[in-house]
Amino acid sequence: MKALNRRKLITASAVLAIVGLAATAIPAQAAEVGVSSTQIKLGMTLPMTGTASLGYNKIPGAARAYFDYLNANGGINGRKVTLVVEDDRYVPTEAVAKTNKLILRDKVMALLAPLGTANVKAVASSVNPARRGVPVLFVNTGFSGFADKKKYPTTYTVLPSYVMEAKIMGEYIKENFAGKKIGLLYQDDDFGTDALAGFKSAGTNFTIKVPYASGSQSAAAAAGWITKFKAAEVDVVILFGVSSATSAMLGVAAQLKYAPQWMLGSVGGDATTIKLTGVPAGVLYNAIGFSPVPATTDMKDEYVKFFSDIYAKAVPGSPFDLNVLLGMNTAFMTAQALKAAGPRPTRKSLMAAIDSKGATFANSALVPAGYSKTSHVGLTGYWVGKYSPTGDLSPIGGTYVTYTTDSGSGPVVKSTYKRPAMPAKGLPN
Amino acid sequence: MHKAKKESTHLPLFILGGVVLYFLSGMVDELRVYQGATIAVYVIAISSIILLTGYSGQVSLGHGALMAVGAYAAAVLRIEFNLPIILCFVAAVLAAAIGGALLGAAAARLSGPYLAGTTLALAIGLPSLANQFAILGGEQGLLFDVGFPPLALGEEFTQYKWFFWIAALAALISMWVIRNLLNSAYGRAWRAGRGNEVAAQLAGINTARSKVLAFTISAGIAGLAGALLAMTIGTVSPSAFPLALSFSLLTGAVLSGITTLGGVIIGAVVLVAIPEIADVVAHRLGSSESVTTNLPGLIVSGLLILTVLFVPNGPVEQHRARKAKHAAQHTSSKKKDKH
Amino acid sequence: MQLLNTLLIGITAGSIYALMAIAFVLVWRSTRVVNFAQAGMALLSTYFGYEAVSRIGSFWVALPVAMIGGALFAALVELILMRLLVKHASSGPIAGVAPIIATLGLLGVIRSVISMIWGGQDLRIVAPISNNGFTINGSTLVFSPLKLLVLVVVAVLLILLTILFQKTNLGLALRASAHAPEIARLSGVRVDSVRTLGWALAGAAGAVAGLFQTVNGNGNFSPDSIEFSLLLVSGFIAAVIGGLDSLLGAVLGGLFLGITISFVLMYVSSGLFFIAPFIILLIVLFIRPQGIIGVKAGRRA
Repeated sequence: MKALNRRKLITASAVLAIVGLAATAIPAQAAEVGVSSTQIKLGMTLPMTGTASLGYNKIPGAARAYFDYLNANGGINGRKVTLVVEDDRYVPTEAVAKTNKLILRDKVMALLAPLGTANVKAVASSVNPARRGVPVLFVNTGFSGFADKKKYPTTYTVLPSYVMEAKIMGEYIKENFAGKKIGLLYQDDDFGTDALAGFKSAGTNFTIKVPYASGSQSAAAAAGWITKFKAAEVDVVILFGVSSATSAMLGVAAQLKYAPQWMLGSVGGDATTIKLTGVPAGVLYNAIGFSPVPATTDMKDEYVKFFSDIYAKAVPGSPFDLNVLLGMNTAFMTAQALKAAGPRPTRKSLMAAIDSKGATFANSALVPAGYSKTSHVGLTGYWVGKYSPTGDLSPIGGTYVTYTTDSGSGPVVKSTYKRPAMPAKGLPN
Repeated sequence: MHKAKKESTHLPLFILGGVVLYFLSGMVDELRVYQGATIAVYVIAISSIILLTGYSGQVSLGHGALMAVGAYAAAVLRIEFNLPIILCFVAAVLAAAIGGALLGAAAARLSGPYLAGTTLALAIGLPSLANQFAILGGEQGLLFDVGFPPLALGEEFTQYKWFFWIAALAALISMWVIRNLLNSAYGRAWRAGRGNEVAAQLAGINTARSKVLAFTISAGIAGLAGALLAMTIGTVSPSAFPLALSFSLLTGAVLSGITTLGGVIIGAVVLVAIPEIADVVAHRLGSSESVTTNLPGLIVSGLLILTVLFVPNGPVEQHRARKAKHAAQHTSSKKKDKH
Repeated sequence: MQLLNTLLIGITAGSIYALMAIAFVLVWRSTRVVNFAQAGMALLSTYFGYEAVSRIGSFWVALPVAMIGGALFAALVELILMRLLVKHASSGPIAGVAPIIATLGLLGVIRSVISMIWGGQDLRIVAPISNNGFTINGSTLVFSPLKLLVLVVVAVLLILLTILFQKTNLGLALRASAHAPEIARLSGVRVDSVRTLGWALAGAAGAVAGLFQTVNGNGNFSPDSIEFSLLLVSGFIAAVIGGLDSLLGAVLGGLFLGITISFVLMYVSSGLFFIAPFIILLIVLFIRPQGIIGVKAGRRA
């Protein structure tokens, strides 16, 4: 009797729970999902809380700052661009659940700048935006695989790949540090293995390679890395890790008076972020750095000036760093893609617009984008600079020297790319 | 020990449950179907904790890691040998059970906080091992593709409905197995050992072996849940099994009523529903971004504390206890042996 | 030189684990509970310290503020949460795991509330004295005045607490309440207040760990600081290695853990960061299930 009651209760509660979940109705569909006469809805998943969120959680604010400016100036053909942001805590399970919500409940037109290789891969496999025809614009990872149009037909990369960066670093080492002993700090996951592949293709030989587990970067760990590099007596140390690894390394190096020739990868090389963690500017001085977009402190650059002005108004008091610049740049490119998608934008016309015109979209990057009918490759290179006495990455000799390459075995070449001028008022034309 | 023959296995009830779920999956939208699959996965994972903690009295903060073992086993076999999906799930159970047996052997020597700490360290350490072996695919992980639903189910049959069917069937089967296991001699031995180890030993129960067995079975169930989780997200990667997963399983088990298998659906639904509820609450209140993003965490943790404090044995048990009290007041019936 | 530096790295890391382990032991001794919210409380105290630094500007004022804040908060947790727990969940099948679950819940609440109040971004506390390495024969050691200070603080705390436990009536009451609460109560010890005091002491010790962990790194901390999740696990493992019941054991356990991890990362692989503590813990538990300081020594301390 008792057991039966319990069964009943369980069955009843199960049925109730599921019926309850089912009760919310499905909203009616518009002509194109996510596009109405007054708005265009986009969705973004990224870590807003948790250890992986530091720095990245500024991206939605940055993107919204630009979209708000755009909307205040007429939007896209009268439609306001709205961005729905979901916190995935950098967990693939959450990324899939939240992306499902964005696509199935919020009915967004496209996904914008989802972050993290494992997350984007899980979403591609489970949610399968490709089968649903949902564009995944400008994924926020340097994993080169996402540019594979066959595997990810609706996905567009934007950042140059880790492979490209390592190849360009290798080329720079060949030109400037031939015969020197080189050390490498890298993350012992795909971020690092992509880098190793790039260095291999560039023919760079390392005296010592120090891997670190993602999440283990701390001052104590950095003391260990430095001890290893010191013992190996290297001349050049490449830091191919995230910002927190670079900061820990440079901060401890200052304490231990360790000063090799530093070379910082772009992911962890943002001067604003590094200095905010208390690393003295002097440690950065003369380090070599790489970036696809101009230095965030370069107020002579029209894009940087424009973006930082908007951001300062939208999010007062928040430092204008690389994540903010990249976030706004992505929003800026998205606006142009939406505009180019025609008076009645659809998911198809949006992707067609990037395929045909994406390579000519105005944006702050100093290197060309590789979008075409056959390619979803984003930016294809970096400029090489040195950190100034105040610790800001600046072009060597005042002019930006850029290199471009691909994620395969193609050569590294000095680029003559001329960036398109910023459209009037920073609005898509 | 003798099997309780008179106790029915309640097979018809579980089959009825399956039929209800079958019709429900046709009535709800795709997002709900997906959430249904997630709930089914949580049901399995949480019941593994209930078996271990509620019945055998051992605590584990590392079941997320055991889920990872199952998930990786299934994915590797699927990719390397293209095994049929059903065998991948069986392999997930076996692999995690072996891991659980090893851990359980260590656990049998450890009590309360020592065990909690060891499993905690495991939860943090194990997933990161995936970066040490190329076959495990590193941080971006491995694809785990169970394939499209059979064509016979029709073209309208979505991938998520297929996931839901698989997960719900697995949940029903595991619940049925666990329930009957708990009502068997093993289950009685676990409860005896949980209550009073010395008394249980005097009654002729090998409590150490009984505990290892509980750990092994619980791990196997967790492994199945892990493989199913991997199915729903299409991949297996270290970041899918964070420490927070182990914590939320324990939370789910506590909210379900850690000593009542029957309440498991409550914990599973709550875990899936909290972010949505938090979202609604935050929007109603018009709160700032920092409040909105942290509200789910606050609600889950708050619920956990409140449950432990005020309904330590869970809502189902509480309800039953209250009813039993009423019954006792009305009729001067003799005490019944309840499980 | 590499060997010496590896040792120094281990000692420094270990001394912070030791501080945290002391906090675990204090709570365990007074209430037989492992407080999984310990690192969260340390983090909260660090925010108290931050508020003091930003108002008054001195680390040396912030330290006692954080300690008092941490102690008060811990006492409050004992008074409200733990007493309710004893009242409602001290019997029944869940009794053994209830404190673990409740403190894990508390950890979640603390983190969420901190994020809501102070936001998710990095805040910063600057070290009171130099963290630049000592230089010997032209080579700089991975050891600095600040790291020396941390060691001194650990030693002082250990000595003070040992004196408190061994030589004072209060210490006697603390020990009696933990080991034989009923007898203690009969002999007139106010067991409940003494338990609260045990938590308060732990809260203060945790505050010291939190502040020094922060300044000994690069001074930054946030609700999601990696360091604080590590502090939870490492501090707890250190306490377990030390036998969970002994202050000296906690310190030795912390140093042992720090040094072993440092050598593993240096000479085996730096990729083993997360799995190493688990393996060390398993080995220790298999060889000496009662921890490196045996039960007997623990009872005496």
